[in-house]
Order: sequence, then structure tokens, then C-alpha cells
Amino acid sequence: MARYSPTVIDHFTNPRNCGRLADPDVTVFVGNPVCGDQILLTARVRDDCVTEAGFEAYGCSASLAVASILTEHLSGMPMPVIADVDEAQVLAWAGGLGPDQRHAATLGADVAHRLAENHRAGTSDGDAIGCDG
Amino acid sequence: MDVVSMLGMPGAALRVPRPQWRQSLSAALLEAFEFHLANNGFYRALCEAEGIRAGDIGGDGDLHRIPLLPVGMFKQANAHVMLTAGLADIELEIRSTGTGGIPSVSRRDATTVTRASVGIFGGYRDFFGISKGAGLFLCPSTAEVPEMGMVKVFNLLTGMLDDHRYLVHEFSFDPNEALDQLRRWEGRMTRHIVGPPFIIARFMRFLELEEIPLQLDPESMIIMLGGWKQYTGRSISREEFDANAERLLGVEPARIRDMYGMIESNMLAIECEHHRKHVPPWCYVSIRDITDPAVELAPGRTGGIAILDALNTSYPGFLLSDDVGEVDESDCPCGRTGQTVRFRRRRQGAELGCCAVSIEKYLDSQQVVADCDLAGSPAAAGR
Repeated sequence: MARYSPTVIDHFTNPRNCGRLADPDVTVFVGNPVCGDQILLTARVRDDCVTEAGFEAYGCSASLAVASILTEHLSGMPMPVIADVDEAQVLAWAGGLGPDQRHAATLGADVAHRLAENHRAGTSDGDAIGCDG
Repeated sequence: MDVVSMLGMPGAALRVPRPQWRQSLSAALLEAFEFHLANNGFYRALCEAEGIRAGDIGGDGDLHRIPLLPVGMFKQANAHVMLTAGLADIELEIRSTGTGGIPSVSRRDATTVTRASVGIFGGYRDFFGISKGAGLFLCPSTAEVPEMGMVKVFNLLTGMLDDHRYLVHEFSFDPNEALDQLRRWEGRMTRHIVGPPFIIARFMRFLELEEIPLQLDPESMIIMLGGWKQYTGRSISREEFDANAERLLGVEPARIRDMYGMIESNMLAIECEHHRKHVPPWCYVSIRDITDPAVELAPGRTGGIAILDALNTSYPGFLLSDDVGEVDESDCPCGRTGQTVRFRRRRQGAELGCCAVSIEKYLDSQQVVADCDLAGSPAAAGR
């Protein structure tokens, strides 16, 4: 099996919806304190459905690709469905991830859950990402 | 001497006469430059923007004209643009997280991993001459932090040893466990200590405070990487460290060796017995004017450290780091030629960033949590 799936290679090389949305309805930040991978996702929501999403991500290639993949799959999805997105779902969207890349699927599922939680609670995460690069 | 010969005979490559070193290094770097210029659209555009074309870089006098990538680019979300190799060819991702929290990720293809591993292994053989003994690794294992550059570099040492043990588990360190392990090896194997300076300093402080006598073996070495600045901003004094190591562990200063490198580069500068850090023969360290990185400073002058690395095929290994220091091109008493590099400090405004700093910060935060738990426990309440 190739180290990276064609989907991961595609999204890493040609990231979709990169950047933050202006005036988003929900902002989500999830980071892994040990490895340092971080995803910040901004979304616009209408009638309990994500209509548009944008991301900023830092970390390994799999995490960057998963962030891009999430923005495509979550767009158009109702919040109750987003709340149920799990690691297996993200893995399937990514076309599979190697054992050392699985943390990216966990991170992706965490982002989806937090998006649903933040929307339900009417809150947004603070701006945790800031790159000096 | 070409790159393959340098990697195969690092000892010889590090000791060639100075004119041959310059010639070999220039040829290797020129070949690497032309490879990336031909195969990396982003780098080609960067070169064009700087007015550099194929054929503009000739002899060693032109090396400073090779366009550099700022290491900050490795933190950017769109770091894929730097790659000469496609993601499908990337075998290994190595990361370092500094105090800012954004990871710097470098991606290496199979050729680069092979070359870097062989280069580091060869460097260890030439500088340390280790082929047996036991290593007490005062850092997490690669199993715990598989992508952390510092432990990956340390881990290559284990293949030369008869036994080894990692003593930082889940970001906690118990000096009693380290002491027990050293005692178990006593009289059976030469004991070496490997790790970032701050954890070894902690272990020595423990020995001193507990008044525990410990003398390692005549050929024991202390091998370090990770820098001398702590996350608090305070620096560990090298002189004090060496004096303590001699007094508390019985290791003479000539056998205490520090190394300097960064995860974005395949350059690992290893200290010889005279405590000069030798730049590998496939790398050139160019010191740049802090205010104008296009200007190369003469050996001995302090400035921004740029590293030109001929081994990298996954991305152009021509990097402008956030470190400040100087190079020395005078002959070293150890007999090695080429350059030696001295790190002074981080560039003004750059975050304090390396694997060791992250481990230390995390170790300390765990300690705070442990102290709080203890203070809040029923036993503590009854004191």
C-alpha cells in the first residue's frame, strides 16, 4: 500500500477552502498538545446546516489534508450528522491513513464534534493559531 | 570527493586538505542546486525573483548566492510548495515544536532519509568511536514521540550499543530510575549518557542534592543535543555543566560532546574532543548579516546561520535559520578540516524553539500538575 492515499496527496497538494471565512458563524480550534498538529475551522451555518467552511492547519501532511477534506465533506451537512462524525468516517473520507497518520483522523473527528458543540452552545473558540512563519 | 564517497568515508572526508574540501563541497552543492532548480517550480521562481539562473553558480565563491528558504516556511500551512519531491515520495516527516506551539515539519524522501541516516551514523562513528556499551537515554523514546527530530537523531545511536534504555516516559522523568539503571549496568558495560543538556543537568542536580556518589567508566561519554537555553529563557552554563559532570559522574570534559542541528536540515555538527562542532563535509554554513541576509560575513564574525546542504532531494536544503552564531575555518587540533560552527543565540523575535525546549516545558507542566495533585490529596491535607 502506498504511504499516502491519492485523496490525501490531492488535498495536501491542492488544498481546498484554505483560509478563514470572514465573519463566520462558528469557529473551532482543536490542537494536539503533544505533537502540535492544529486545525482551525471556520463555518457559516444556515438552518442547522453548514453552508461553507474554511480551514487553517499546521502539522503533518495527513492533518493538513484532513482539514481540507473536512471542509468539503462538512459543507451541506446538517449539524446532527456532523455531531456523529467519527474517526472511521474521516478515515474513509481520506481514503485510508497509515498507523502513524491515524491521529489525523482523530483530530478531524474532534473538529467535527467541536463544530457541532460550539454551534449548539452558540460559542466559538478563540484564535489559537498564529504563525510567525 | 563526491557525496557518495563523503557518506561512505566521513572520517576521510572530514580530514581532506582544505582546497580539496572546498572543491568537493562546491561541486556537491552545485549539483544539488541544479537539481532543485530543474525540478522545483517554487524554488525556480524564487531564484528567478533573485535574478539567479542555472550557470550563475560556479565555484565556491558563488555559494553565498544560492537562494535560501527561511526556516519559518516549514511552519506554514502551504509548506507543500517547497517540495521538490511529491508527497507520494515522502517517506518521513520530522517535526519540532517550539514555544509558539506551531510545529515545524520537514518532509524527507527515501533518498534523503538514506543519506541523512548514513551521514549521521558515520558522524557518530568518526567522532565518538562507539561500538559497544550501554546508553542511558534521558529523553522520550521514538515510540513515544516518533516524529520528534531530536530523539530520532539520538535513536540512531542505539544501533551501536549493546543495551539502552529511555528514561522519560509520558513526559515524566524519575532520576531514581536512571540511577538504578546505571547501577545495573555497572561492571558489565561502559555506560554512556545521552540526552538534552537540561535533563542531564537535572540528573546531576539530583545526585548532588542527594549526595549520591557515582563514577561512570573510563570510556563513558555524555552525548547531547537540544541546546542550552531553557524554555524559561535561562541558559545552562557549559563550563559549569562540564565541571559538574566531571565531579558528579567522573566524565572528563573531552568526553562530553554536544551537537548542533535543526530538523529542517541534514546537518548535524558534532563536537570533537576540543569542543568544536564540525560541519559535515556535505554542508556549508554561511553566516549572514542580520540586517541583510544577502551579505555573507567572513569566518569569525557573528550573524545569522544559513545552512546549505547537498544531501536533500525532497526540498532545497538551502536554509536561512533563526539562529545566530559564527563559523571558524581555522584548522582544528583534532585534525579535521572544513568548518566548525558555534551557535550563540536565537535571532531577535524568533521563538525559542526546539524539541528539547518542548520536552522541558512539558516535563515542568507535568511536575506542576503532580505537585497540585499532591497538595490537594487527603494525605497532604493531613500534614
